[in-house]
Amino acid sequence: MIEFDNVSFAYDAAPEQKSLCDFSLTVKDGECVLITGPSGCGKSTLLRLLNGLIPEFYSGTAEGKVQINGEEIQGIGIEELAGRIGTVFQNPRSQFFNVDTTGELAFGAENLAIPEEEILRRIGRTVKAFQIELLMDRNIFELSGGEKQKIACASINVLEPEIILLDEPSANLDYEAAESLRQLITCWKEMGKTILIAEHRINYIWDLADRVIVLENGALKKEIQKEEINRFTEEDTSHFGLRSLERISPVSLVKNTEQAETDDVIHLENFHYSYDKKHEIFNIPSMRIAKGKVTAIVGKNGAGKTTFLEVLSGIRKNDGIMGLDGKSYSSKKRLGKIFMVMQDVNHQLFTESVLDEVLISQPEENEEEAKKILAEVGLLSFADRHPMSLSGGQKQRVALACAIASKLPILLLDEPTSGLDHAQMYTVGEILNRMKGEGRTIITVTHDSEFIEHCCDEVIQIKEA
Amino acid sequence: MSEETWTPSKKKSLLDPRTKLLLIFVEAVLVLATTGGERLFWFRIVFAVLPFLLLLSAKRYKICIIGLAVLCTIFLLEYTVFPYAHGLSASMLVLVITIINRFLPAYLTGVYVIRTTKVSEFKAAMEKLHMPDVLTIPMCVMFRFFPTIREENEAIRAAMKMRGIRFGGGKVGKMLEYRIVPMITCAAKIGEELSAAALTRGLGKYKKRTNICHIGFGWADIVIFLLVAATVLYWILGVFA
Repeated sequence: MIEFDNVSFAYDAAPEQKSLCDFSLTVKDGECVLITGPSGCGKSTLLRLLNGLIPEFYSGTAEGKVQINGEEIQGIGIEELAGRIGTVFQNPRSQFFNVDTTGELAFGAENLAIPEEEILRRIGRTVKAFQIELLMDRNIFELSGGEKQKIACASINVLEPEIILLDEPSANLDYEAAESLRQLITCWKEMGKTILIAEHRINYIWDLADRVIVLENGALKKEIQKEEINRFTEEDTSHFGLRSLERISPVSLVKNTEQAETDDVIHLENFHYSYDKKHEIFNIPSMRIAKGKVTAIVGKNGAGKTTFLEVLSGIRKNDGIMGLDGKSYSSKKRLGKIFMVMQDVNHQLFTESVLDEVLISQPEENEEEAKKILAEVGLLSFADRHPMSLSGGQKQRVALACAIASKLPILLLDEPTSGLDHAQMYTVGEILNRMKGEGRTIITVTHDSEFIEHCCDEVIQIKEA
Repeated sequence: MSEETWTPSKKKSLLDPRTKLLLIFVEAVLVLATTGGERLFWFRIVFAVLPFLLLLSAKRYKICIIGLAVLCTIFLLEYTVFPYAHGLSASMLVLVITIINRFLPAYLTGVYVIRTTKVSEFKAAMEKLHMPDVLTIPMCVMFRFFPTIREENEAIRAAMKMRGIRFGGGKVGKMLEYRIVPMITCAAKIGEELSAAALTRGLGKYKKRTNICHIGFGWADIVIFLLVAATVLYWILGVFA
């Protein structure tokens, strides 16, 4: 049994702002609890208090009691809790210590000095339960995000903890990978584990939860019991500012009005790409994308969506030709004519302040205009901050501000809503609509059906070659 | 548990991690620092060829071919261009030729070791050598960090390429900064998340961890040891002669 008793917490980094405020919660053994709420509501803080990362890793001031089976765990130490509590984190790229999958599965158990034969037995059981035979003895760097996340779950399972915490585990996963994560969580539920999941994207696990906790500003906003979970409607979710409950495959939303051969289309000819001679990633003989609209590109895992954007932007060379306003653009000519917001925006923020970031994106530096753009995306008060000190949603808006500032006619986005809450997603939608109003063309790769329905005009599927 | 579908792989890499460490050391001392002078010339040739053979054994053909191409270019420069060079260009050439000749074998050995050693194998080797954890763990993290840095670097390069046209004019000098700042912040962020994940999985809980990975010496290790021993012996004989 997990008990939070009047717990308050403030990080040392922001002492005046309480991340959790007089919060109480009891989780029974074997219960599966979904914790949701807008970014910064205290979901992650809750989990960090349990796995010991607070106070050892993230320091701050804590009040109240956090107990597991009646034992106070504040100050016990992270590694003492290892083996009793397992945590799956958000970023698939940063939670493995080894380079090979088998070593990674053994890693936690080796740390706990579990005998070798027992580790091998446990790995065997995990491989079977999670059906990951094909992922064994592989280089983790060659796996997809979804596969990496499976390995992360499996390596927790080898430790056989009673309590499993998942901190936004689907933030970087596409539709199918989130569905297979759902299967692993179901598997844990059947094993009788106590599960706490902090998530924005609630649709893929909504019906698995025995209870849902909605947090706001570190306090309980709404507790939803099992009967109510089943009756919860879309109106209710928007009332609480939550993401949609519907599990819709983005591929099922394809709508592409046949574009006539006019000036109002961007014409792609002969777009194909392969890393080596044997494997063609995608092959598009011809595609028409409506000018001045928002087009979503959807496709299954491994269909080459990101690569398609990279080819379109000219980052990757190929011999495809893009036709726009009667002119043809080879990949070399496209480079620098198209702005792209990458999935991990950290890779494209180069300067020391938010304002500088916008300034270097402008064709000619114009501070007044740059500030106007920052005001539009709601970041004017952050103009002097270092981009890396911002939250994920804010960083993304910096990148969008740069896109606006660049005045480039075409904007590409790679999974712009991953890890964003409901309000942040709507903000992105507003910014895109504003750019559309200026006559710019927006092409976005996305797995987010709610986002597609909210602001995309066209939906095109690309298929694996 | 007879129904288990997964069995631990028995496949080992050709060399024991300890032999690989020895090899890096010898490459650095003998080829890079050219200890032993003229007397060890033929041994140096052997140790310069060795990394190519090892890379071939590990099926790393691409890096092998690149290495050979670099070597051929250097030889061509040395025998065709160098005799006609004078003054500054001659000394520049000497510099380039010597640096590449000396660094290439050590670099290729490094590539071979990084590509063929699993983190757990390395850890097992360090434990057998009774190295303290304060030394072993940072080195393990390095193993894992090389591919991470390569991934990050590629993504940042792509981002810069996409925005490249905006960096024209007076800002060329800032290119390096733009490249390195996101690199450091991304690496630091990944490092921090990585240590959080490792701690929650009990890293550092006990002094003695277990290890499912087995290492041991094979015939290839013996060949390398004999070769190193022969080199050292021949060198010592030369010193006392």
